[in-house]
Amino acid sequence: MADDKKLNRRDFIQNSMRTTLGIAVVGLGGLSMLRSKGENWVWQIDPFKCTWCGRCATSCVMTPSAVKCVNAYDLCGYCDLCTGYFKNGVKDLNTGAENLVCPTSAIVRKFIEEPYFQFDIVEKLCIGCGKCVKGCTQFGNGSFILQIRHDRCKNCNECAIARMCPSDAIKRVPANTPYMIKSDFIRK
Amino acid sequence: MRKYLTIFLFLIAVTYSGLVTGQQRFPKPEFSSGYVTPSPTTPEPRANLLEYADVVVLLVVLSVASWIAIRKRSRRAMLWLSVFSLLYFGFYREGCICPIGAIQNVTLTFADPLYAISISALLIFLIPLIFALFFGRTFCAAACPLGALQDLLIITPFSTPVWIRKTLSFIPYVYLALAVLYAATGTDFIICRYDPFVGFFRINATFNMFLIGACFLGLGLFFARPYCRIFCPYGALLNIMSRFSKWHLSITPAQCIQCKLCSTSCPFDAIEHPTEEQKSETTQGRNLRRFITFGLLIPVWILVGGYIGAQSHVFLSKANPQVHLTELLIAHPELKNDTGNIDIQTFLSSGKSFEQQVKEAQIIRHKFYIGGWFFGGFLGLVIGLMLMNQSVFRKRTDYQPHKGDCYSCGRCLKYCPVKKDGTVEEIA
Amino acid sequence: MKDQTTKLKFVYRVMLVTGAFCTIVTILLLLNFWQIQHNKPLDNVSLKTLVDRLNADPNNDALKVDIRNLDLLARKAYFNSEWQVTTGGILLLLGAIAFFASLKIYRDMQAKIEVPVDLDKNDAIAGVLSQRWLLVTIAIFFVGALSASYLSTDYLKMYNNSIAGALKTNTNRIKQVSITSANDSTAKDSTSGANANVFITMADIRKQSNGFRGPFGNGVSTQKNIPTSWDGSKGRKVIWKVKVPKPGYNSPVIWNDKVFLAGADKGGEAVFCFDLATGKLLWQKAIGRLPGSPASSPEVSQDTGLSPSTVVVDGQRVFAIFPTGDLICLDFNGNKVWSKNIGEPDNHYGHASSLIALKDKLFIQYDSNKGGRIMALNVQTGNTVWDIRRKTQISWTSPVIMVANNKTQLVTSANPLVAGYDTETGKELWSVDCMAGEVAPSVCYNGGIVFAGNENAKLVAIQPGSPAKTLWENDEYLPEVSSPVAANGLLFVCTSSGTMVCYDGITGKKQWESEFGKPFFASPVITEGKVYAMDNGGKMHIVKVSRTKKILGEPTLGERAYATPAFTDGKIVIRGANNLYCIGEK
Repeated sequence: MADDKKLNRRDFIQNSMRTTLGIAVVGLGGLSMLRSKGENWVWQIDPFKCTWCGRCATSCVMTPSAVKCVNAYDLCGYCDLCTGYFKNGVKDLNTGAENLVCPTSAIVRKFIEEPYFQFDIVEKLCIGCGKCVKGCTQFGNGSFILQIRHDRCKNCNECAIARMCPSDAIKRVPANTPYMIKSDFIRK
Repeated sequence: MRKYLTIFLFLIAVTYSGLVTGQQRFPKPEFSSGYVTPSPTTPEPRANLLEYADVVVLLVVLSVASWIAIRKRSRRAMLWLSVFSLLYFGFYREGCICPIGAIQNVTLTFADPLYAISISALLIFLIPLIFALFFGRTFCAAACPLGALQDLLIITPFSTPVWIRKTLSFIPYVYLALAVLYAATGTDFIICRYDPFVGFFRINATFNMFLIGACFLGLGLFFARPYCRIFCPYGALLNIMSRFSKWHLSITPAQCIQCKLCSTSCPFDAIEHPTEEQKSETTQGRNLRRFITFGLLIPVWILVGGYIGAQSHVFLSKANPQVHLTELLIAHPELKNDTGNIDIQTFLSSGKSFEQQVKEAQIIRHKFYIGGWFFGGFLGLVIGLMLMNQSVFRKRTDYQPHKGDCYSCGRCLKYCPVKKDGTVEEIA
Repeated sequence: MKDQTTKLKFVYRVMLVTGAFCTIVTILLLLNFWQIQHNKPLDNVSLKTLVDRLNADPNNDALKVDIRNLDLLARKAYFNSEWQVTTGGILLLLGAIAFFASLKIYRDMQAKIEVPVDLDKNDAIAGVLSQRWLLVTIAIFFVGALSASYLSTDYLKMYNNSIAGALKTNTNRIKQVSITSANDSTAKDSTSGANANVFITMADIRKQSNGFRGPFGNGVSTQKNIPTSWDGSKGRKVIWKVKVPKPGYNSPVIWNDKVFLAGADKGGEAVFCFDLATGKLLWQKAIGRLPGSPASSPEVSQDTGLSPSTVVVDGQRVFAIFPTGDLICLDFNGNKVWSKNIGEPDNHYGHASSLIALKDKLFIQYDSNKGGRIMALNVQTGNTVWDIRRKTQISWTSPVIMVANNKTQLVTSANPLVAGYDTETGKELWSVDCMAGEVAPSVCYNGGIVFAGNENAKLVAIQPGSPAKTLWENDEYLPEVSSPVAANGLLFVCTSSGTMVCYDGITGKKQWESEFGKPFFASPVITEGKVYAMDNGGKMHIVKVSRTKKILGEPTLGERAYATPAFTDGKIVIRGANNLYCIGEK
């Protein structure tokens, strides 16, 4: 008889606690659901904030980094003397290693017509160091930009590069606009 | 340099003399050869639909795991299910997003007006909790890739005394509270940052991540599932849920015959033994008095914890990058001349005034002060409840799993000689 | 049974082999890691030295070949090691699976049924023990947290306290200064007005030539008896001529008896103060490296130089800004009041906008490649009062102060906006989308009409208000560097091709033009109904403010000149390329 009572009491406590916890969990879920727009988030570099510090190459949990250089062709001047491709103060415009900015030779220079050249990034070789971005943005149009490439990005819950970024250029953005490719000199 | 500059200025002059609006320094040329500008490639992130597919897989795995734990009662089935989860959520999905890390996303949803958790991530956070409320920690048994990896690597588990386990079980709550505090203040996602196994799933990580992971796996050879038992903050939540689960795995399918065969089968020391014979009235009275005393002390614990948490806000907030940078500049103004310090140089060239930076850092620090009260208050509550819980003694007549600590892995099942119909298997 | 033993032996061997394999792969991976850490192939030091050597000796072809070979080697090393890590990782994973599988099977095969033991059978005792240990742990935890909180320093609080303290002492100091100067009845120099809460007023500005293009930056001065003839090379009417220690395109400014200007070269930046009566260099203040200053001089064009921005004076303080982003406030004795680097402007020619001040605020137009921005700082502390971002591109113009519609406003021109901003709040009061290109000429105003122009764009007359109205546009003659100036309803524009043009300010109709030959970089200024426009050759074209062309004189300086002259009673101060001249009756 006493045992029965005890058992009933235990059941009662169990049931009421379960209900309470259930309501708490569902309530928390419901509140979050109300705020949620349902969209997924991905990480993105704002090229207007980026200061090409070089940490993208070293801070990513992936080696090589998921950040690569992208040429925003619309902004590119197709310069013969590309300041993202050639080192500062280069003497003659040939593709010898002594003249080039990229440490992994990931930029391909292709002749289009006099005096214009197209510059393509070979993503397999690019390590995201941002050296070319620096050259292009400081002296040229700034068409070389660093972007997180989502075929490589693991979409970590918190991006290790975002935490290290000195200029706060990496932010979560809705997954339907994963890239910010520059199309103008200043942000519109 | 001079020569280069001249070339540069010349180029500007040349390109500029036309009908330029000053938008670009070197406007895009007009090609006469009919050249068409390519567009940069933009590989898409993982499709939203696939994220929902993950939710479905999680649901299926949890349902099957619950069925295995409660109906099928097979360790082997559970093992293979966990191998599947390890392959799917671990090596295929590469660890992100998991319910453990989703704690922080839920927190950030309420703390950051610009952020709201995605529905799929929210479901991944909620579903295992709901399942634990009904079927026990079947998520830990078969769906969690971190648990599965550690579970597979249990070689010689050693039993540890109750007091060590109970004391260690305080750590996950501290970790949970810290993770919430740091997520709410927008400082860091510490759970994800110190996830020990994600590097193995990706076969790519920094050296330190591998080192932490290897240490956990090494410890796990002898102390079963070390991450789950003494760190996992989600495990702390599941533990609470599972204590009140409606159905839970039981060692014996029928009546326990107290053969003691299962008593050492659990590598996690989660099997509770039958209690000793009836205690005297006086001990019971003493226990009751203790229980009540500890219960009444809970508000005191909350206040003390809250006070200490709030006092700790200064050093806790030093982990925030902005607070850290600001304090560094105040404490070591000479670092402003250190051209190698990227953070400082970037801040100085950003044009942001130092007063503004200090003001923002102070706002963050104040958040830590408020958060510190909650942080400490929560830990005080946990302490109070844990102490109170240690004064509760339930009478047990059988060998049964501790509903909070049991992962429902099913190892004990094969040790029980009792069959479903109540008959006892002969042991050779 | 025998079968069992051979099986056991086999599994044992598999375990040993896979274990050894894993160990070897791990060691190799660790070695690889160590190697990469210690000699980063892509950050090769020897490659850098070779490139440096090549820069010193550009025609050394053998060196080029060496660099190319080394570069190829470095890249190979990098990608090889990357391949090694990936392959090693997968091998290690497979090896580990095999090892642990065999280890498990081996242990399972060896497993015996263990003797059941009863651990912690007494719940009550275990419970009490747990409680005790929990309490001990918690005590340690709490004590640890408390001591950590007492040991940690709140630098933010410290900083705020120190700021509050510094402000207090600062005001005290200034008060003391004002008391002593009040007691010192002979002190009639410009510092005598030094007081913590006395700021420059509109009336003060009208009497001075305290910034770029005179009072309010509008190019119109109220000074009288300005000479119209001199000869710099022969020394006629030159009261004094001194060499300026450091070059700069910025213009001299005058406050009572002192002349201020700035200069900079690769060796550093400096502010100079000359005595108006004698030309004696009263003091010079080298700025030095401020916290946040760039390590090397910014890359500027030759036409901009390292010190293009004119200083501004508010009667007690002199403010200077440089393309490095260095901003400094000095008192009239050359002592630093405050300084800061506001961030190196991202400017491909070099930041050139001049400063302007009114009351307690110093205004900085900070349009860079990162977008448009205007700041107002407190003159006493340098703290930001307001800081606005605006939708303009980079510019090289200077702000002008104007009162229109009962609002004191800062009027600026940049691509694409000519706009007015409330000096108190920074709020945009009006704007007209009409400019284009890389704008350098500042605006001027007369009779409530604002004039702006730029090469490659147009000349525009705007009536401010909400909304602002464009009165007329013209694109026949456009200024490129030199700013226009207006008085008596007439607008004067000097172009880089050496033409001076006079327009009617209301209608925009051209009144006359004059081809002077040499380009104008300096801005024309008006006083006593005369336009003083100096061309780059150092010849001052003095023209009457009238609808018909009337040249009153064309005296020469004897050296090139790019700076805008400053007027004071009976004197004109001109900065040549190398020297500073004071011209007037001796």
